[in-house]
Amino acid sequence: MEAHEAPGQGLGSAQKRLSGKALQRRGKRSDAALVRRAQAGSASDFEALFRAHWGPAYRAAYLVVRDAAAAEDIAQEAFLAAVRALDRFDRRRPFGPWLHRIVVNRAIDWARARSLRPEGEAVDAAAPERPERDDELLRELGRLSPEHRAVIVLRYLLDYTPGEIAELLELPRGTVNSRLRRGLDALEERLQ
Amino acid sequence: MRFVAPDEHEAAERAWAVVSAAYAEREPVTWPRRHWQPLVAVAVVAAVVAAALSPPGRSVVHSFRKAVGIETAEQGLFSLPTRGQLLVSGRSGLWLVRPDGSKRRLGRYRDATFSPHGLFVAATRANQLVALDPKGAVRWTLARPAPRFPAWTGTRTDTRIAYLSGGRLRIVAGDGTGDHFLARASAVAPAWRPGPQRVLAYADGRSAVVYDTDRGTVLLRTPPLPDPIRKVAWSRDGERLLIFAPHATRVYHNGKVVEQDDPSDATLDTDAAFAGRRGHVAAIRVAGVSSNVFWLGGGPVLFSGTGVFRQLAPSPDGRWALVTWPTANQWVFVRTRRRKIVAVARIAQQFGRRARVEDWCCA
Repeated sequence: MEAHEAPGQGLGSAQKRLSGKALQRRGKRSDAALVRRAQAGSASDFEALFRAHWGPAYRAAYLVVRDAAAAEDIAQEAFLAAVRALDRFDRRRPFGPWLHRIVVNRAIDWARARSLRPEGEAVDAAAPERPERDDELLRELGRLSPEHRAVIVLRYLLDYTPGEIAELLELPRGTVNSRLRRGLDALEERLQ
Repeated sequence: MRFVAPDEHEAAERAWAVVSAAYAEREPVTWPRRHWQPLVAVAVVAAVVAAALSPPGRSVVHSFRKAVGIETAEQGLFSLPTRGQLLVSGRSGLWLVRPDGSKRRLGRYRDATFSPHGLFVAATRANQLVALDPKGAVRWTLARPAPRFPAWTGTRTDTRIAYLSGGRLRIVAGDGTGDHFLARASAVAPAWRPGPQRVLAYADGRSAVVYDTDRGTVLLRTPPLPDPIRKVAWSRDGERLLIFAPHATRVYHNGKVVEQDDPSDATLDTDAAFAGRRGHVAAIRVAGVSSNVFWLGGGPVLFSGTGVFRQLAPSPDGRWALVTWPTANQWVFVRTRRRKIVAVARIAQQFGRRARVEDWCCA
């Protein structure tokens, strides 16, 4: 795994590193055009949609489940669900949040199931070397509950607002805020 | 957060192979057009054509096709490898192909089927079910909303056509009279059981229904599959029923499952059919960047290649199976015993894009 942000100190820098340069979400308009043309049978536009959203979906799944193979399965399944639902997809709604909702919910389910049958450290064994502080941050992130991990990933990797996260995960906004706060508190405590 | 998960690029390529196969398999819906869209479409097509005709564009297209096709493929469908005649639909319309390779365009129709003895053709267009003779002359029409998937059965003197219209399965006599509603059904071609009784199999969501149309009774309703059914088909002797979905295939005999296959989520089956003289089931499986045709009950792989195989159409005598290979713009005729392969290239140039075998009839 490679985490390219510079190492920092304490929660402030942990949070900064997580949110640092968030991925730019695709504009609703361009996604809508890609979805429309993909619905009409344009393979190249469907591929563009896939390429635009694979990275964030896979990374989000990976950060929740901490297992590359499972993350690949989860993201792939989400895209297969997208193919199956493509023709009835409402083009007025943004594609990214719809996909991320599937990914994160499945990742939470997978991580919960995994926690019920622990098989040792869930960190990917094949991960390449990375800077020590990032390693520590990601390891500590992996020790949070799946629910806390998910809201942190959505907030700081995918750059959703708490309101959007609440809508995606069908949670009260207060629950999202409290999970964010508790998750970040736990990270700060463990990183100090 | 600039973060790259492990194996991200490789995972993307593996996933794209599976997801693109699933996308290639789907049938796109048609959306209502606005007036400005044709102009935009013309402009886009012109740009694409211009790009493809440019020396770099030609080079890319040529090298791609060369990489995934059979290099020794014939450059035209000069003849069929066995008796019978083909109905082929594509963007250029509906074509009838005779064993000597001669082709006749029957018109702009969508789905089509031969009459039981291959003397006529039933086809659909926007809001009509149409009966044609082999020269394309219209014998009768029946106005119904969005008819699809005609299936024709019967004797020389008494025939029936089953078809779908607006989510309803309907039946009409072979002379276009007596049209009536039968049942609600999914958008999957119904299949008449070979034999004297008029027994019809059709899909209802994830279940298949076998219905005796003479007695008006349901003979079998299968347990639901994990996915919506994509195909129902009878063996040539009418003894076994194939129910196919991309992640589940079942073969029924006397109301019981006698063969089944449940491929993993990492692969996708695009078609299955009874093939071979003994009527075994062959299926197409897309795994990663390659596809193969295999016997469901085990045995040697019939044919494999790079890209996506879309359709498997058995010849009327069961000795050959036609595999459509849109990635390579080729069709491959595979002999089911004593393996032999005849490949035909330039399919899109002969039948238009999205060429599909509608029926192969009457040895």
